[in-house]
Amino acid sequence: MRLLATVVIAAAVVVLILVIVLRSRGASDGVDSFRRQIDALSPEARRPVIDQMYGKGEHNEPRIEPHIDPRPADADNSDARGESTDDDASDQDGAHGA
Amino acid sequence: MMTPAIKMVHMARDLAIDLGTANTLVYMKGRGIVLNEPSVIALNRQTGEVLATGREAWQMIGRTPGYIVAVRPLRGGAITDFEITERMIRLLLQRVGVSRFTRPKVVICVPSAITEVERRAVTDAARRAGAADANLIEQPMAAAIGADLPIDEPVGNMVIDIGGGTSETAVISLGGIVALEAVRVGSFDIDAAIQNYIRREHGIAVGERTAEEIKMAIGSAHPMPQESQAEVRGRDLMTGLPKTVVLTPEEVRYAIDDVVSSIVSSVIRCLSKAPPELSQDFLVRGMYLVGGGGLLRGLAERIERETEVPVRMSNVPLEAVVLGAGHVIEHYDALKGMFMGARR
Repeated sequence: MRLLATVVIAAAVVVLILVIVLRSRGASDGVDSFRRQIDALSPEARRPVIDQMYGKGEHNEPRIEPHIDPRPADADNSDARGESTDDDASDQDGAHGA
Repeated sequence: MMTPAIKMVHMARDLAIDLGTANTLVYMKGRGIVLNEPSVIALNRQTGEVLATGREAWQMIGRTPGYIVAVRPLRGGAITDFEITERMIRLLLQRVGVSRFTRPKVVICVPSAITEVERRAVTDAARRAGAADANLIEQPMAAAIGADLPIDEPVGNMVIDIGGGTSETAVISLGGIVALEAVRVGSFDIDAAIQNYIRREHGIAVGERTAEEIKMAIGSAHPMPQESQAEVRGRDLMTGLPKTVVLTPEEVRYAIDDVVSSIVSSVIRCLSKAPPELSQDFLVRGMYLVGGGGLLRGLAERIERETEVPVRMSNVPLEAVVLGAGHVIEHYDALKGMFMGARR
């Protein structure tokens, strides 16, 4: 009887220790994974990917209003943004600057 | 010389996909953007056989004989035809080296307002198309990463992503979305508004590609210093004969005003959802415009005028989303907590 009680108490202690260890580990996992995520989002981590598209030295300095086409008023609008409409102009439907 | 085994490993690189209503972009881990094509597929109506995808299929829109149909299988950022989308994804993945033997992990950018059913449709389509594992990430989050915004810092970053079928505005801080507003309105709705206006006011029918060309040539959301008119050719609805009309920029602005107002309203709603501590950051840092729809002339000025917050354009408006998703695939283990569903 006494042996059984000892075994039960020992098992309970082991379970308690396991729960405490797992809980503290889970908490530190959360901190670690959040830290890893934030580090992976840092400008340094993103540089190799961003460098493929951005020119060097242009980081965090996006141009203001680059979408405004500075072409003169009498320019041929069909050539704006490189979208040639030569084919379409001869078709039934089409649009080009006047 | 590359041995077959090495080639297989090379081809199995993980992918990030921006599955947009207008264009599909694919980023390959370690290699960058390897594919940028319109999200269009051309099919033989009788046999169901795929005749073309991407740019080739796009050129067929509105110009096909009766037995060929060129379609966009996504509308409003959602899959409208699951089977065709799956075939399109499979063909696009084949073009970047994915086969049944090389099954990569795939991260797909989707609109944040996507429903659970649509979410499953996208992941299922990717898995059936050859992906070993498919995870989703919200477009505004990917756009903020790709636009090089400091989202790792505790500051308010606001990104406005205007795509072909959806417009999404998000406030992001410390790697998470704080406030979000999305509307199923995008640049295709602007094209449709131009088409409807010309039909209603000038009595001629024009195709969707012509409407897009008009938008790019003279379309604007705000009066611009240098403007010109456009000659538009279409089919007279009364006589059926070809006809030319002249369209002014004012007319186009009037035609698209409802759509533009809807986008601006969603930006204002998102601003109003942002916590005050982050709101003050926008006045200094501004909001960042990405997506093909953001290229509409005068849109930044219009948003700026109505919100009184500076609006800046990303350096890579068309590629920002796929670059962001590409960064996630490069740091898959560290950033897998950012996938849709992972935070719940």
